Amino acid sequence: MNLLVKLAFRNIFRQRRRSLLTALSIGGGYLLCTLSFSLIEGSYNNLVNLFTLTKTGHVQIHKDDYLDRPKLHKAIDDYADIGKQLNNMQQVKSFTYRIFAPALAYSDEGNHPAQVIGIDLTRERATTLIADKVASGQYINNKADSDGYFQAMIGIGVAESLEVGLGDDLILISQGADGSIANDIFRVGAIIGSRDSGDGANVYLPLNAAQTFLALEGRVHEIVLTLDNYDEAEAFAATLRSTISNLTFSNLTISPWQEVEVDFYKSMESDKRGNAVALVIILFIVFIGVLNTVLMSVLERTREFGVLKAIGSRPIIILSLVTIETTLLATLSVVAALFLTVPIIYWLTHAGFELSEPIDVGGIMFSAYRGEMSWYVFGVPVLLLIFFAFIISIPPGIRAARILPSQAMSSF
Amino acid sequence: MQRMTLVRGLLISSLLLTTPIIADNNLDNKPDVIQIIDDMEALYRGDSSKAAITMIVETPQYQREMKMTSSAIGDEQSFIRVLSPKKDRGIATLKLDDEMWNYFPKINKVIKVPPSMMMGSWMGSDFTNDDLVKQTMLTEDYDLTLNETETEYTVTLVPKELTVTVWGKIEYVVNRAAMVPLEQNFYDDRGDLIRTLTFSELKQFGNVRLPSRLEMTPLNKAGHKTTVIYDELIFEPDDVDPAVFTLRNLKSRF
Amino acid sequence: MLTLKLAIRNLLRNTRRTVLTMALIGSSLTALILVDALMLGMLDILVNSITKNLVGEAQIHRVGFRDNLDVDLYLSETEKIIETLDQDPTIAAYSERVLAGGILSSSYNVATGLMYGINAVSEGQVTQLPDAIIEGQYLTGKSGEILIGHELADLLEVSLGDRLVITLSEADTSELAQALFRVSGIFKFGIKGVDKGVVFTNLDQARGVIGLTNEQSHEFALRFTDRALATQPGTAVYQNLNTSELETLNWLQLNRPIASIIEMSKFASLIIGSILFILAGLGVINSMFMSIYERIYEFGVIKALGTRPARLAGLIMTEALLIALISCVAGLILGYLLGSYAAEYGVPMGDYQVSGIAIDSRVLTRLEPYQFIQFPIYVTFLTLVAAIYPALFAAKIVPTEALQRSL
Repeated sequence: MNLLVKLAFRNIFRQRRRSLLTALSIGGGYLLCTLSFSLIEGSYNNLVNLFTLTKTGHVQIHKDDYLDRPKLHKAIDDYADIGKQLNNMQQVKSFTYRIFAPALAYSDEGNHPAQVIGIDLTRERATTLIADKVASGQYINNKADSDGYFQAMIGIGVAESLEVGLGDDLILISQGADGSIANDIFRVGAIIGSRDSGDGANVYLPLNAAQTFLALEGRVHEIVLTLDNYDEAEAFAATLRSTISNLTFSNLTISPWQEVEVDFYKSMESDKRGNAVALVIILFIVFIGVLNTVLMSVLERTREFGVLKAIGSRPIIILSLVTIETTLLATLSVVAALFLTVPIIYWLTHAGFELSEPIDVGGIMFSAYRGEMSWYVFGVPVLLLIFFAFIISIPPGIRAARILPSQAMSSF
Repeated sequence: MQRMTLVRGLLISSLLLTTPIIADNNLDNKPDVIQIIDDMEALYRGDSSKAAITMIVETPQYQREMKMTSSAIGDEQSFIRVLSPKKDRGIATLKLDDEMWNYFPKINKVIKVPPSMMMGSWMGSDFTNDDLVKQTMLTEDYDLTLNETETEYTVTLVPKELTVTVWGKIEYVVNRAAMVPLEQNFYDDRGDLIRTLTFSELKQFGNVRLPSRLEMTPLNKAGHKTTVIYDELIFEPDDVDPAVFTLRNLKSRF
Repeated sequence: MLTLKLAIRNLLRNTRRTVLTMALIGSSLTALILVDALMLGMLDILVNSITKNLVGEAQIHRVGFRDNLDVDLYLSETEKIIETLDQDPTIAAYSERVLAGGILSSSYNVATGLMYGINAVSEGQVTQLPDAIIEGQYLTGKSGEILIGHELADLLEVSLGDRLVITLSEADTSELAQALFRVSGIFKFGIKGVDKGVVFTNLDQARGVIGLTNEQSHEFALRFTDRALATQPGTAVYQNLNTSELETLNWLQLNRPIASIIEMSKFASLIIGSILFILAGLGVINSMFMSIYERIYEFGVIKALGTRPARLAGLIMTEALLIALISCVAGLILGYLLGSYAAEYGVPMGDYQVSGIAIDSRVLTRLEPYQFIQFPIYVTFLTLVAAIYPALFAAKIVPTEALQRSL
């Protein structure tokens, strides 16, 4: 075995140009495979991350069927207890609470329908990218000012329609959970989002202020939590369901983001599938490229193998030689390619291709098409290519092993 | 604010069936239904009234009792002020023709209610926009048939082809002896009873005798009910001041 | 001519290698065609869904209408707009609409919704609404008809024939108006917002309820004779009907998020295409080199006999050209066969959705002339470029070294 490996090495370096070309082909194939993987994984992951971190979080908890048919009274009563449990769960990176209610916003200019969202300011900021969505003004705090008014962060639609800006008063009228008319004044502390970001009619209030406003003291509609990775969501949701079983009398529904945003998820899945098809085609081409190369370099040496057989090498030796050489070469190529690949992928991940016009994804600007660095991106192509090389070397190896020395040496 | 307008609607519908003038108890003469209703509608045109009302809204999630006072001239002008619960004390609503304003003492603001907000269940009560925007004339837009028993008249109103209403059929059940309403039943097109309004607890208000307790129960939503109780009711009061129906009055002390 | 003959003979001498190289180049071409066709197919589905669903290929509004859908911002003197559209040969069809938000009530429940008043016939020429009906029938123009989304029908607990009262504020006066409808059809678009919040009624009746005259409406949805015209700024309708009061926007401008997705996907195709090209190129270089090595003794001999370097290079290039041409033909044929099959039967993609628009699960690829003209040209060009280095190498062979046959 050792002899074979030594021979293989020597052969590789003996025929520099041929090995180099083969190596280039395999290495090039590796680079391109990795690039494709990186881009495809990257764009998908980036989009999903952006989306889940600005809007949905990874897992959400609601009462009953609030997600399908939201009603003010479907609120979670013991959310603080649930919070304590979540604190103790290692997988949970962060969580926050939210309250929702439809309302009418008034200013001197008139009125505009608004969606009131009460958020736990500190938790929300640690869980989602909401602080990045502040377009003007500052992320608010939950203190009432000297007039006793709490602050609000409003969407552009409300701001423009009612012609209110930073520091102005905003009147909110809604219905309380006890049936009363909720009415109060808030001070605009920040304007959030952009025209395309979809939160034009949102009015964010501090959670405690919203709870008082809506007579929902001690209750929230939604608990949002984030994990380390968005693809842990479904599994974690299942874990949660059994862990919080002691609170099942509260009729809680635990939904991973895939259920919360079914449309988005399905779009992303379809996109992924489309990309998968493209990837298969790319791999196919790489395969053919490697096939071509390896095949030819083995066939080229028919004469050599003829000589070997003539001097008594057993067929199995020839086969092994071919296979080991090819696999070794492939491995070396890939390793060498890594020197070029890693910096390129690094650049792709951190800088990426700049888009001519940034895309607005839920209020966050997606300005570059980025790739991703991960074991998957680097590792899978390594395995694939070495495997290809190995497999491809077998048929010609067998042929070489079987050849009759006389035939071999007369051909070229 | 919806509360006020629905009270108006209730007032109108209950007035429709009171017959202080035409108290025809002659069982031999079939009463002319159209004539009765016409007379009732003529009766309430130009009416003014003052009332003290208790409204109780029940839902599976809460029960809420409110006390309010109301003043009204005809169909066009009305003013309602909430007295209790304490949280809502001082909230007032002014309606002039098709415009409506609310006053909220907590924030000391008068806001104009957009027309679209004059429907939809703001107060969580069981009355709908149909009750508020009563632009249909019962005698003209419905086909009326009368059924008699010894104690009751049942007037069945079926909307004509072009009448704008969500109901397939409405039944008014009237107490023959006292000539006061007992029930109003609202049916869908298939003949299923969807909600029912019951009248009870007859009380004498001045020279008029009316049911003081109205209960609206939707049958397609379990656990919901709205009850309106007239604690006091004065028709054609002497002291309805036009100044009541002004924006300034919304904010005034009381 | 001699070069050509020699080239052909050389290629035939080692058929296996020649075939392999051709296979590589040919399949790269096929792959390029198929991937492009697939991307086009996916794009088509996306664009079709958008332009045929409710947006149309372009829309005309009063400036400012789109911000809040304010019922008071209506188009006046629409007969002038209609005249302009009728005289425009690039417009295939247009649909005039009124829009108003209001409250929908049934015997059972109440919900908010957006009412579209449409002309049944012209709407059917511009959008896919008639195909979205799952129960009952499409509008026929009779008064009282209304089409309601299936999710809204669930919410209001109504089925065909049930009463629906719409209450809204009239344009200009803001007075309350009500109208009675009977559910005549239930539709499913697959777009949540539409299925849950939109109803369609006949244009004339809707106008009556909102209080608009025959010369007033809110929106025109347009379809062009060729969809590509929609996104060309030079198209007539954008010149004529973009004033200080009117705005005419195409479907890309009306669907900003989708436009971004499309751009991203074009970008992705570009990258994938480049990757494929480079791969193919590498394979060609490799192949050419192999063929040279094997004949290096020959070349040594030929050069020793006096053949000029340029001639030798020319020979290599000619071989490359021949390989390229034949591979392209093969690749085109295969691409055409596979592409046509996929265009007919589609590529199964499962439940496909983009931005809430549900799409058929099979993607039909689209073959375009440029795939069969430009792509082979690129591939041939690439092959030739890839052959340059090997050709130069061959030209520079030193006979004495070559004749030693040391590889």
